[in-house]
Amino acid sequence: MSADSAASAYRAYGPALVRKAERVLRSRQDAVDVVHALFVDLIPKWKPEMDLPYLYRAVTNRCLNALRDRGTRARLLEREGAAPAPGRVRLDDQVVGVGLIAQLADRLDEAHLEVLVCRFVDDMTQDEIATQLGVSRKTIGKRLDRIRDEVVALRGAA
Amino acid sequence: MQACVGEPVSWLRLEQVAAGARDAAADAHLATCPACRACLDDIRGDVVALPPLPALAPRRAWWRLAIPALGALAVAAAILLLIRPAPESPRDVVPRDDVATVKGVGEVVVGTVRERAGAITDDAPTFRAGDRWKVVVTCPPAASAWLDVAVVDAAATAPDYPLAAVRVACGNRVVVPGAFELTGARANRVCAIATAGAPPPRGSLPATGAACVTIRPE
Repeated sequence: MSADSAASAYRAYGPALVRKAERVLRSRQDAVDVVHALFVDLIPKWKPEMDLPYLYRAVTNRCLNALRDRGTRARLLEREGAAPAPGRVRLDDQVVGVGLIAQLADRLDEAHLEVLVCRFVDDMTQDEIATQLGVSRKTIGKRLDRIRDEVVALRGAA
Repeated sequence: MQACVGEPVSWLRLEQVAAGARDAAADAHLATCPACRACLDDIRGDVVALPPLPALAPRRAWWRLAIPALGALAVAAAILLLIRPAPESPRDVVPRDDVATVKGVGEVVVGTVRERAGAITDDAPTFRAGDRWKVVVTCPPAASAWLDVAVVDAAATAPDYPLAAVRVACGNRVVVPGAFELTGARANRVCAIATAGAPPPRGSLPATGAACVTIRPE
């Protein structure tokens, strides 16, 4: 039963999750691998509440783990220049690529990196991020401030 | 790349809208923002080839498996001792059209992914106007190969090449970049032509190195 439910969710949500992972990793093949591995791990412990927002968050964490892996990171950075650019940008924000996320992965903890991906890759509002992560909007604001400080520090060091 | 006119509709909400969810605020923004509308169109037009999930059996204690397995092994060994089959002759092996053996690469197996109004089907045997198709190839993981996709209409003398030839790292159901449509009222053979060193020459299907599947109109 759990395997059937997981397989249904894989068919329904898999493409959306691959596109999400691809925006972080800038590689369709790596994105497919991340989503496939996630579902293989989830099959034995599948629960009905594992909906698209839940899986979105799980994919974020998988992608961040991939970026923390030095070998994977080097390969992704090598290919970043050849990868397609994201489809749109905010007027007031920069494009956050895999290179910047990888650099920030060494300076920020899991909670901040998750907010970084939600805001700058998934284009969520602060309210959406707060709902997604189950914390207050004020906390999200503080984490975004810290992220911006780290980006400024990185630029200063460069 | 386009800039959103205000606060973009998040990708998660765009995915939910693309899946049919009702979101009045998102609809209102999409009506005025070409950048976000283009992202929604990208989602709707995207085809993702997902590898199949493994079929997992529920876990059982090892000894519950071991007892029947040992029994079955003993019976099988006894049968093998009594009846020895003749060695398989090469003539008994039926060649498969979807498998090609390529020097320098190994065995190449072609497959397809069909997208029809958002529904994804692996290795579908039939096509209709408007379906979008991708080709997937399985080859030995240590190898890399040049791949070209050729489509041969049953009545045509020469194949069409809907996609650019590409070099790929081999693996399980590696997706050839790009998608195409099949048209006409006759069956089409979709072939993956693989070579090791250089892009495959075009013009006619090679005698070896082409793995093909036949897709018929509905």
